[in-house]
Amino acid sequence: MSAIVADRIERHAAVDRVFHWISAVSVLALLATGLLPVVGLKFPWVLVHWISGIVLTLAVLVHLLRSLSLAKLCSIWIRWRDLRGARAGKYTLAQKLMHHALSLAVLVTIATGLPMLARIDTPFWERDPYLFAASTWGVIYVLHGLASLLTLTLAMIHIYFSLLPEKRMYLRAMWHGWITRAELPAEHDPARWPGPQR
Amino acid sequence: MEFVRISRDAWGQEVLEGISWDLLPLAFALGALVIIGHAIYRLINKSRRI
Repeated sequence: MSAIVADRIERHAAVDRVFHWISAVSVLALLATGLLPVVGLKFPWVLVHWISGIVLTLAVLVHLLRSLSLAKLCSIWIRWRDLRGARAGKYTLAQKLMHHALSLAVLVTIATGLPMLARIDTPFWERDPYLFAASTWGVIYVLHGLASLLTLTLAMIHIYFSLLPEKRMYLRAMWHGWITRAELPAEHDPARWPGPQR
Repeated sequence: MEFVRISRDAWGQEVLEGISWDLLPLAFALGALVIIGHAIYRLINKSRRI
């Protein structure tokens, strides 16, 4: 048993896994509540949408604060050797690209979604639709819509790749936190990312 | 295909409403295209290795 545990490399700390799954659930809830009414499925979506938006915003804030270390920023930064096809450090080039694209889309939806909260009544504030001029609201809505559609496309691709048998170790790592030492060399260079032992 | 939704306010001026929802099937199709494309590529690669 101890040999099995020694063979494991911690890939994601518990707090990062909790962040990932909170973000995943809130993004899926936001996509469903934002886009299903567009295709004709009518239901009271506004309450779930704005609450999910606030949950996602708080999760992203915590993630940003946790990521503000040089080691963590370096692990996700795209380097020249990534582009030359060298074996990856902690994250592969595809994972880095997915992270950056989803980050961009989610940050734009948050930046444009937060002012939209002013347009709805909640138990905490009354609506103020005149916070911005109509033309400004138009731009905010266009950016929110474009970022939402980008999130939809990226979420589909992300879920597909996470379910592939050869990528299953990453899904397990996002659930249980670890990959095995034997799985590491397939795509990762142990010299670039040996990972902490569990 | 329209890219944005535009309406007119009480004074007849054009007001930007948001993106056109014609883009929603496009975003979905783009995701599906990548998935199907990769699945085919994977299948061909697998059969080559056998």
